[in-house]
Amino acid sequence: MAVTEAPPVARPQAAASRTGAAAVTAALVLLVAALAVVDITQGTAAVGPSQVFKALTGQADPGDASVVVASRLPRMTAGVLVGVVLGIAGAVLQAVSRNVLASPDTLAVNAGSYLALGLVGATGVSLPLLASSGVAFAGGLAAAAVVLALSGLGTGTVRLVLAGTALALGLNSVTEGLLLLFPQQTEGLYQWNQGSISQNGFDGVLQMLPVALVGLAGLLLVARRVDALALGDDAARGLGVPVRATRVTVVVLAALLSAAAVTLAGPIGFVGLCAPALVRPLARRFRGFVRARAVLPVAGLAGAGLVLGSDVLLRAIVPADTAVAVPTGIVTSLVGAVFLVVTALRLRDTGGADAPDRLRIPSRTAFLVTVAALVAAVVGVTLAGVLLGDSKLLLGDVANWAQGRAGQTVSFVLDTRVPRVLAALCAGGALALAGTLVQAVTRNPLAEPGVLGVSGGAALGAVLLVTTVPAAGSWGVAGAAFGGAALASAVVFGLSARGGYRQNRLVLVGIGMAAGSTALISLLIVLTDPFNATKALTWLSGSTYGRTMADVLPVALVLVLGLAVAVARRTELDLVSLDEDTPRLLGLGLPRARLGLLVVGVLLAATAVASAGTIGFVGLVAPHAARALVGRRHGRVVPVAVLLGAALVGTADLLGRTVIAPAQLGAGLMTAVIGTPYFLHLLVRGRKAT
Amino acid sequence: MRRLLLTAATTTAAALTLAACGTTEPAADSSKKKTSEAISLTDSTGAKVELDSPAKKVVATEWNEVESLITLGVDPVGVADVKGYKTWDTAVPLKNEPKDIGTRGEPSMDTIASLSPDLIVASSDLPDAAVKQLRKIAPVLEIKSADASDQVGQMFKNLDLIAEATGTTDKAATARKNFEAKVAEGEKALADAKLDGTDIAFADGYVTSNQVSLRPYTSGSLIGAVNERLGLKNAWKVKGDPAYGLGTTDVEGLTALPKDVRFAYIGNDDDKSSNPFSGQLKKNAVWTSLPFVKADRVHRLPDGIWMFGGPESMEAYIDALVDALTK
Repeated sequence: MAVTEAPPVARPQAAASRTGAAAVTAALVLLVAALAVVDITQGTAAVGPSQVFKALTGQADPGDASVVVASRLPRMTAGVLVGVVLGIAGAVLQAVSRNVLASPDTLAVNAGSYLALGLVGATGVSLPLLASSGVAFAGGLAAAAVVLALSGLGTGTVRLVLAGTALALGLNSVTEGLLLLFPQQTEGLYQWNQGSISQNGFDGVLQMLPVALVGLAGLLLVARRVDALALGDDAARGLGVPVRATRVTVVVLAALLSAAAVTLAGPIGFVGLCAPALVRPLARRFRGFVRARAVLPVAGLAGAGLVLGSDVLLRAIVPADTAVAVPTGIVTSLVGAVFLVVTALRLRDTGGADAPDRLRIPSRTAFLVTVAALVAAVVGVTLAGVLLGDSKLLLGDVANWAQGRAGQTVSFVLDTRVPRVLAALCAGGALALAGTLVQAVTRNPLAEPGVLGVSGGAALGAVLLVTTVPAAGSWGVAGAAFGGAALASAVVFGLSARGGYRQNRLVLVGIGMAAGSTALISLLIVLTDPFNATKALTWLSGSTYGRTMADVLPVALVLVLGLAVAVARRTELDLVSLDEDTPRLLGLGLPRARLGLLVVGVLLAATAVASAGTIGFVGLVAPHAARALVGRRHGRVVPVAVLLGAALVGTADLLGRTVIAPAQLGAGLMTAVIGTPYFLHLLVRGRKAT
Repeated sequence: MRRLLLTAATTTAAALTLAACGTTEPAADSSKKKTSEAISLTDSTGAKVELDSPAKKVVATEWNEVESLITLGVDPVGVADVKGYKTWDTAVPLKNEPKDIGTRGEPSMDTIASLSPDLIVASSDLPDAAVKQLRKIAPVLEIKSADASDQVGQMFKNLDLIAEATGTTDKAATARKNFEAKVAEGEKALADAKLDGTDIAFADGYVTSNQVSLRPYTSGSLIGAVNERLGLKNAWKVKGDPAYGLGTTDVEGLTALPKDVRFAYIGNDDDKSSNPFSGQLKKNAVWTSLPFVKADRVHRLPDGIWMFGGPESMEAYIDALVDALTK
């Protein structure tokens, strides 16, 4: 956006601010240098400022010198390199897409690279660093291409972020599935995915440096065209700039830069998003920063400052031995999440609610047939869930079990399997209903407990309780999940309530919340239980492992309550979801009705998380599919959505339990794999409509 | 979409017909036999475990428990991550082909139930909910795998518990005697070589991408405790976790070790990422300039000695360490 400033008015002023720009650049360089100096004095070895000084002047003992040369300096250099490269990639991506939220994270570049590396890892081939960087580049580029193609260049911010984050979620789920399927070959990839700038000597940095330089040089060469592009496609074409070619070149070069950063340090989250945004206010003040050729290096400096700053901050506040275990990427993700929320609040939101999609109104018979078919599907999934597993059962076994006459093995199997099946079904139904309510109340077709960070908040609450009180019971966990969800939703809905839950603001604040809570959960687990990766995966990927009837009870009760409320208030839901004015004309107390329905939605999402971890996409996909099947009247949408949700999560859980038995995949991973394509399909359809 | 739903419904109906009303095992008879060999004991968590007779069909979720069972002459019928065990614990190899019950963190309830074991030896590292479910399958002996305040004591407490439940207390007594004899033998060998009181640092490490993370075994770890029994001194200053006594550090953290320390590690050739010391670190200047690396006091102990195992693994460790130090 910054680059769309009006041309300078008077020459003298411009000259004055050019010195200003130079001063700002110099200040940034000094800041990065200062951070770099602090960074090399931090670490696990007792090599403080004085030893570093001696080492740099060649007077230190060989041990200290080697620490500085082989550990501190490479780490610092990697931090600078990664920061510069990501900052520039973000800045240039934002410029060509004319979108303040484009970045390697939001374009799924990192997730694409991660999956590509995971695929290579699964084959068991170990590649040299440069070759794996090539693989990462291909993966990142492909992901970016998909996102940009789906969201359309230069169009809606929300659509870009949504397509990107959705694809990232889906790709990460596939990668996590690979990690579980091929644990031996892909070991270490999970930790690596958190992002850390520590280095084993200069080798990595030296190999990535040429790649980064090629990318940077290329970008500086096309910088003038990027400037022209900022004026708009038509204006750029008028100036003789090949719009398409420029965009493609820039995206390829940015993907190359991100791939270099990813290979070196893993995905360091959100630097590409924050760094250019930090520079943007400068461009408003100083004319010198209007041109891409000047902005890009400054964005790079800001990126280096962010990465090094995060590293320095981390090592300053936690003891050295612990800091080693906390990946830098978690810290930058936290910073980035807060930043995303702040940007969302400052964003001038023009994207009101979309006009409701035109849907045909199916007949009553069609509705009944749909419900009947769905009930059959849910029954089928339930039965399959109960009968299939590591040991296959037959219906007679279940009958015996229900009458308490089953043999030992069958009772054991069913005693443990039935609660899992029920947990999956109830959680699916509850998430679908929560999605339906939230979408109606916010009139935002993209709102969903997972995307809005409500599920993340719930998981954070639950993990917090589980790590501090190991003996917490089912109701305790559900309560803690609700506390977290309530807090998260209070923040998300509270911040975006002004202006009536506008499309962009709500979803962006929500995504910020979701990213932040995920980072906090990872941090919490690294700090309290570093050797328990299973725990993290269970909460973050959604799993019904080890669920008992007692765990199912809260979500089942809340689901019944929610259904009762939704059915009783179906007319209000219809009105609220219509527009701002109709309910008022009919004398409906809008804020109160909204708040009540939202609370029910949050309660549903929280208990679902307590019983099955964070399962994404269901709350989004189920209501949409329901509306497409039976029209938009909530009396019909609610039952269909709930049945769809239950069937979806039930199927995901069944697949997760059986495909790689006796090991298992979380239900959340499977729903993401199923849900991502559907989500992207929704976005494509939405684009055609506008 | 609608056609899809209808297909799903039809398929379901067909599946229902096919699944029919067969059973995979006959309905239970409610008669229960009582024997005179009934065993009653209290596990590490204070829970009472009642057995009709010494357990023969035993499932174990954690490798140290598997190892204890083998030591006691009870071949487990179900083991978590069999492939991993075979890679990491060749010092005490499996004598049978047990069923793989899934991962150590999330063993499959279904598979365990289908083995209909007499006893499940479960690690207290498992989630409580999972243990609760296991209790429905069979009596569960919950074992506290590690306790940094007394690792060797905990190891034998666990061995004795498992021995009691499987009626093999005489074998446990033998194992304890063998271990003590091995410790005494090792201690003497080291003292003879004037190595008593030597600083020792044991670690393992992992490589991810180009990054190396190291895991120091502090004096609270099992290996650390055995080292001290041998008359050696643990050189790590890093704080370990309260259960396993493991810390975290990176390569530069090694500079805090005393100059004349003996450094020992175990990796695994079948797991490339677990061998930073003989791989990635070879060219690292911090590593190569460490005094104990220069003096060639780095000892790679043989693969397959499980660092968190039972008395037999520790005996293998003592042999390997004494051998490496006195060579």
